Amino acid sequence: MSAGARRGPRRRVAGYWPQYLAISPYYLIFSVFMLFPVLYTVFLAFQKWDGIGDMHFVGFQQFRFLWDDPVFWLSVRNTLVIWVLSTVPMLFMALVLAVLVNSTKRLTAFYRVALFIPSITSLVAIAIFFGAIFSNNFGLINAILRALHLSAVPWMSNEWTIKLVISALMTWQWTGYNAIIYLAGLQAIPSELYEAARMDGAGPVRIFRSITIPLLRPIILFTVVISTVTGLQSFTEPQVLFGSEAATNPNSGGPGQAGLTTLLYFYHQAFDNNDFGYGAAIVWAFFLLILLIVGINWRLVQRKERRS
Amino acid sequence: MDLSRRRFLQAAVLTAAAAGATAACGGGSGSSGAKDSKNLTLWYWSGGLSDKVVADAKKHFSDISLKTSVVGGDFKTKLLTGLRAAQSAPDITGIKGEDIASFLPNADRFVDLKTVGADKLVPQYLSWKLKQATTQDGKLIGFPIDIGPCATFYREDLFAQAGLPTDPTEVSAQLATWDDYFKAGVELHKAVPKTFLVNNIGSVFTMVVGQGTQRFIDEDGKFIGDQDHIRAAWTTAVKPYTLGIDAKINDNTWNAAISGGTLGTEIGAAWHALDISNAAPGTKGKWRVASLPGGPSNLGGSFLAIPATSGNPEEAFKIISWILGPENQARGFTDAALFPTAPAAYKLPALTGGDAFFGGQKTIEIFGPAAEKIPAAYEAPADAAVSAPFYSELTSIEAKGKDPDEAWKDAVAQAKQIAQRQGVK
Repeated sequence: MSAGARRGPRRRVAGYWPQYLAISPYYLIFSVFMLFPVLYTVFLAFQKWDGIGDMHFVGFQQFRFLWDDPVFWLSVRNTLVIWVLSTVPMLFMALVLAVLVNSTKRLTAFYRVALFIPSITSLVAIAIFFGAIFSNNFGLINAILRALHLSAVPWMSNEWTIKLVISALMTWQWTGYNAIIYLAGLQAIPSELYEAARMDGAGPVRIFRSITIPLLRPIILFTVVISTVTGLQSFTEPQVLFGSEAATNPNSGGPGQAGLTTLLYFYHQAFDNNDFGYGAAIVWAFFLLILLIVGINWRLVQRKERRS
Repeated sequence: MDLSRRRFLQAAVLTAAAAGATAACGGGSGSSGAKDSKNLTLWYWSGGLSDKVVADAKKHFSDISLKTSVVGGDFKTKLLTGLRAAQSAPDITGIKGEDIASFLPNADRFVDLKTVGADKLVPQYLSWKLKQATTQDGKLIGFPIDIGPCATFYREDLFAQAGLPTDPTEVSAQLATWDDYFKAGVELHKAVPKTFLVNNIGSVFTMVVGQGTQRFIDEDGKFIGDQDHIRAAWTTAVKPYTLGIDAKINDNTWNAAISGGTLGTEIGAAWHALDISNAAPGTKGKWRVASLPGGPSNLGGSFLAIPATSGNPEEAFKIISWILGPENQARGFTDAALFPTAPAAYKLPALTGGDAFFGGQKTIEIFGPAAEKIPAAYEAPADAAVSAPFYSELTSIEAKGKDPDEAWKDAVAQAKQIAQRQGVK
């Protein structure tokens, strides 16, 4: 009896083998094209390698260099600033939009499609479009400012406005996506709760704070984590906006390296400078940093939940 | 539905076998094996060679099936990936001028072109350009497609407005040194306030470094980016910024600047003419070309190489030398703005004719002599990586108003650190 119980789960796995075989292609492809490269970069981080020549084992030298590399830390600061500047307004606006769409009775399908369109538009196209709008001398925004007899803002050359433009781009792209997720969450809240609150005389703000937010908390947690992961991976935005600025120093993140995110720095080292070992060290160090930030985020949002 | 265990296994094994067989065939049909293959592949990027000349090469070498691929995206990365597996490597490949130095340490991955017939052709080509593709022990891994002799492109109409000389010979004479050039820029900006002299100071730095015989690392692998020649280039580059004649264009608005008259001059390579005419077709006839202040400089210019895995290196080199013969180079110049690397081509009608975009000026009179006088400088594999901080700090001056001396110190400190990691002394 006891032996049978021990063998039970294993026998169950063996019994379902066709099903496991059926889902195996995904895992095979995942192992070959994702898991193996990921593990390979761990190996690479300890080597010096230019892509085709011999590899040289250098131990922790790349990481030691990374620790003292001012450009790496600059890129981390840039990434964090861009992430905060984009995620906070993005999630806030997404929530407001979701509540608005949730409260309308007409054209809901249209609103949902409209919200989703930015996130499926080609990021490169959006970046080129933003580049044209915010251009220093020839952009739409500066043209409007000049028409209003205000002074033009050098959007694409000031170190803060560069970050603002990149954040605006990311906000524009992902607000609707998060709004759709919030909308799904909102529709799962039973309408009796709202009716009861209204009967008790609660206004819209009170309802929002005391019913919508608490019940949406797991969803908010989800979007915060997802936005942290995607926001910290910003790469295409600065790459397209400032990527090919000079043939002699490509992918350096624009004037003053203000748009140099960590992933862009990684790309620059690995693919412009053929320094694959250092590139691997950069992404692994950054991976650990993302883990840390996601962890802190999780704790913060969780604690709020416990307190309320 | 009931799938029996045996049938399922059969299907799975068959599928796997079929996949394996396909993969094996794919590998086998490549050019590995005997060194006299009749199927050759050629990789280049859009605009890297004249498409017309390449199409003619296919007809000219009728006993060979030449398959050409215009590889888009990041060419170097794809080439690196291709080179790692013999089956996927091309038999002939383009290598961009800015990448050639990084391939030299792995010269054994390529055929030494001197062993397949290049030794006889060498005297016909520019020696300083061949040097870029030659290893320190004398192996030649790339044959030069084009070069980028640099010049000053200027707006004749704006120069006239500012009371500056307009004739290319006079401009070349009056704007002979960098200081003369900047002085003219100040006058130009005073007369036409919306017009600036240079698009950004990084471009000036590139030019001045290119005018020297030394770069950031010397031939013994020692870092020399903190020495006088680079410091002097830095000082020259910062001047237009302090004089207020720097347009500070570091984003993709260059096109608009060039067509809107924000830029009165452009310093750039011969191929830059195509960029200007594409960006500002409306300014046709208003541009002229004069010599670069301070002497000739080179920017870019690519190579054709034969990977060591090539199926037929002898035949591959015949194709290369045909495509890059003076006659075909002249066609490449008209067709794709590729400036010839064989001086014999400079006397051919395709180059000696006037260029309508430059008001009928015979631009070869500027570029030709410059091409032959370009100083040969050793470019180390880590040169690009080590020079990057200098460019970044120059943009910091433009973007944040960073103090140039402080920027210089930071650039040198960072460059030294990178040099150390790259194994430079």
